[in-house]
Amino acid sequence: MTLRDLAVGRGHRGPLGRRREFGLLLVVAVTLVAGSASLRAGSASLGASGGAGLPGGSAGASPGAMWLADPVALAWFIGGLFSAHLILVLSRRRTDQVLLPTVGFLGGISLLLMERLPQDLVGGLGLGRTQLVWLLLSIGLVAGIGAIVRSDAWLRLYKYSWAAVGIGLLLLTFLFGHDVNGQRLTLSIGPLSGQPSELIKIILVVFLAAYLSENRPLLIEESTRVGPLRLPPLPYLAPMIAMWAIALAVVIVQRDLGAAFLFFAVFLLLLYVATARTSFVVLGFLAFVAGGVVLYQLVPHVRIRVDIWLDPFATASGTGYQVVQALHAFARGGLLGTGFGAGLPLVGGVLPIPALHTDFPFAALGEELGLVGILGILGLYLVVIERGFRIAASAADDFRALLATGLSLIIGVQAFIIAAGNLKLIPLTGITLPFISYGGSSLVTSGVVIGLLIALSDRGPELPAAGNRQERPRVREGLEAPA
Amino acid sequence: MDGTVIAIWLLRLLFLAGLYLFLWNVVRVLLRDLRAAAQEPGIELGRLVVLSSPTGEPEIGATFSLDAVTTLGRNVNASIVLDDEFVSNLHAALTYRGRIWYLEDLGSTNGSYVNGSAVEGIAPLVFGDELQFGNVRLRLERTHR
Repeated sequence: MTLRDLAVGRGHRGPLGRRREFGLLLVVAVTLVAGSASLRAGSASLGASGGAGLPGGSAGASPGAMWLADPVALAWFIGGLFSAHLILVLSRRRTDQVLLPTVGFLGGISLLLMERLPQDLVGGLGLGRTQLVWLLLSIGLVAGIGAIVRSDAWLRLYKYSWAAVGIGLLLLTFLFGHDVNGQRLTLSIGPLSGQPSELIKIILVVFLAAYLSENRPLLIEESTRVGPLRLPPLPYLAPMIAMWAIALAVVIVQRDLGAAFLFFAVFLLLLYVATARTSFVVLGFLAFVAGGVVLYQLVPHVRIRVDIWLDPFATASGTGYQVVQALHAFARGGLLGTGFGAGLPLVGGVLPIPALHTDFPFAALGEELGLVGILGILGLYLVVIERGFRIAASAADDFRALLATGLSLIIGVQAFIIAAGNLKLIPLTGITLPFISYGGSSLVTSGVVIGLLIALSDRGPELPAAGNRQERPRVREGLEAPA
Repeated sequence: MDGTVIAIWLLRLLFLAGLYLFLWNVVRVLLRDLRAAAQEPGIELGRLVVLSSPTGEPEIGATFSLDAVTTLGRNVNASIVLDDEFVSNLHAALTYRGRIWYLEDLGSTNGSYVNGSAVEGIAPLVFGDELQFGNVRLRLERTHR
């Protein structure tokens, strides 16, 4: 009997029901059914006045109006959620029970939204069904990773390999990717295509967590003085800055500003969490302002974005069009919203906001669910962040703590950037709203993030492999012999 | 027609109510977790988990919560007694200063090891490090869970 068997046996007192998760999932399922019925009724009542074409067909207020919009897709999704729950129950681990229902709720809202938009926004199966497939894959990743991943050694020990993979992916995209909407983000390999910059987020966090946890004492203890600021010793900071700068540079070359902002914020926050040095925040903020000014002067793309942000109405029929339409959508929504399916009538047969399903889902939800609805959705993101920080605070070692912090920051900061961009609180940058925006790469990445968080939350006293043993093979023969 | 309008309103409100019912339930769970964490006896600075110990003293899997200064050795006066013939009477000390744990070898015969490399003088530790004194291997863990 190994030590781990003992430990796990002691950790598992009594039956492992995951009853909280089941209860929360029931609330999610009932609410989604209500939402689906509301969507069908809403778009049916809109009738011939130009409501979005639902796959089920919704011509006029027929007696069938009081039914669900696309019940098959909804059944698949809810079935997927409960299967994921079952997988987590069968894994017999004491892991977090709130994350799966929370992201399930977000995914369900996404499904309802995508069913409600014109289906021909993407080819193939249509918007709703394609999103359903990706959502199921994402939920599957949450459950699979949450159930299977036990050791974190494969992440911790190969941090430089992961960094190399990440940079390699970015370079491949840059060389062989093709442009979509002026951004070179998509990489196609045979029939598969995806956006590697989504995966880089996870790789960056893994690298930073591994590096910071290993060198934390040195970063706190020693310092280089630059004027009034105390900086950590430069040799230890260099690999991190290099990793970050390469990611940032390539991202800026690709004009993916949202991702650049996300990388910068996550980097700074993790550095602060690891060292508790306020000077980093000050310095990072100054660097951000300086960088912003330089980019504004040099990159026309950035200048356009900032100008739109300062005054979208100046170019309301040109570059500022989407942002103005989004503001109108929020205004139409009011307090309680127009109801699912009743917002955003088509203007001349096209959506008022072209990139609605990827960049502006928050505006669409603001219109249809109102202030009350989007506050609730922001609440769901807050729950994800709270769980992530809680998992970090109870982690047994520094790597796990920093990894959990970084993973929850990915979701949180990303949701903030795009929600605030939709609301014209900050300049709009093209980034996805986790679990809600349309897009396979984003959903897969978010699924991996939440799956890892669930795996990290395991409260059974599990023993991860020790840090960096193979890097320093030293005299142990005399001690190893009897053992 | 009036009925339909009312039904649509009800469904819309039902969806929003479901959203907030979910959040309320989650917040209850979160508060319960936070209270449970707050009721745990004081925040400990760290603890040692015994990974291997050929003599069975201390037992494998045993945990020691650490004070800001903790000594290890074969002597009964050490904070943590390691009954192993390769461990010196006063073998090493763990000290917690400025949010960091340090391991100091107190001139032991067989040395102290962190992740397999020998400690000369004093060495900073991170949570998750594996320490070895004689044949006893321990791991430093964070306790606040």
